[in-house]
Amino acid sequence: METTEIQERVVKILTPYVKDQEALASVSPTTNLLEDLKVNSARLVDVVLAFEDEFDIEIADEDVDTVNTIGDCVTLIGQKL
Amino acid sequence: MAESALADGERRTLLRQHAVSRLLSPLWVPIFTAVMRWGLRWRVENIDVVREEFARLRAESDAPLLICANHLTMYDSFAIEWALAGPRYYLRDFAALAWNTPEKANFASTWWKRVIAYLLKCVPVERGSDRKAVAQVLEKIRFLVARGETALIFPEGGRSRTGRVEVDSAAYGVGRLVSSLPGCRVLCVYLRGDQQETWSKSPVRGETFRVSLECLEPKTDARGLRGSLDLSRQIVTKLVEMEKVWFDDRQ
Repeated sequence: METTEIQERVVKILTPYVKDQEALASVSPTTNLLEDLKVNSARLVDVVLAFEDEFDIEIADEDVDTVNTIGDCVTLIGQKL
Repeated sequence: MAESALADGERRTLLRQHAVSRLLSPLWVPIFTAVMRWGLRWRVENIDVVREEFARLRAESDAPLLICANHLTMYDSFAIEWALAGPRYYLRDFAALAWNTPEKANFASTWWKRVIAYLLKCVPVERGSDRKAVAQVLEKIRFLVARGETALIFPEGGRSRTGRVEVDSAAYGVGRLVSSLPGCRVLCVYLRGDQQETWSKSPVRGETFRVSLECLEPKTDARGLRGSLDLSRQIVTKLVEMEKVWFDDRQ
């Protein structure tokens, strides 16, 4: 799967969890989920679980610690596919 | 969380903190107790019953014990620890005095706050920071609890902004901690002052707290993230039930 396609699907999954919806218009691989998009840290795990369902992959507890930016999400998912 | 996640140096640092805190505990434990009891005039309803129950739980098993509580003010952990045991008990059983993970910005922003946090068995955390840094704090707590120490965690991650416990706020890190500690018991503590209508910085002077305790051994068939989240939600759901009883009793 192409990186751009993964990113598009990641952004779509993130959308309901993003408090700063305007920030979604200018997302890039360096966009931080908590600081830039204002995703609640308690909901981050829901986001990662949604990645598991969407891409049919399994993500370990430890892998959640590597997820800070959109680029981290794309890399992690790319590794699991 | 793997055993190797904490470097030897970090383990030694924690053990040194424990030793210093214990050495100076005959000084600071009575002082903090006196501040709450006489300075702030806080009172805990049925404190003897609460302390008896906590002592019974401590005595009945050597299994890891994690305290999970609702969170309404910045000073909840002080009130909870005071409610659970008196200074003489803590000086005898120092491991019962729980480790805390306060917000760095509130409790470790100046040198004197850092000294107090160090003495009070705190491992400050920067909420919303790099996930690895948060995971490292949880790993430190896991290491300590596995050694027989007690830790106090607020499973909602922060103070309840609605003034009520919310299952959706359950931070999965608590479940991750529980799943990494075989046989871990979770002591759910619901503490609320009679005048505490919603969240705030501090309980009021002269506050009377009512406290309830329930011990859980959360289990799940789910694996990985789902398992951790399931365990966290079981704990927070128990706190929601305890909150309902608290309000029913008040009426």
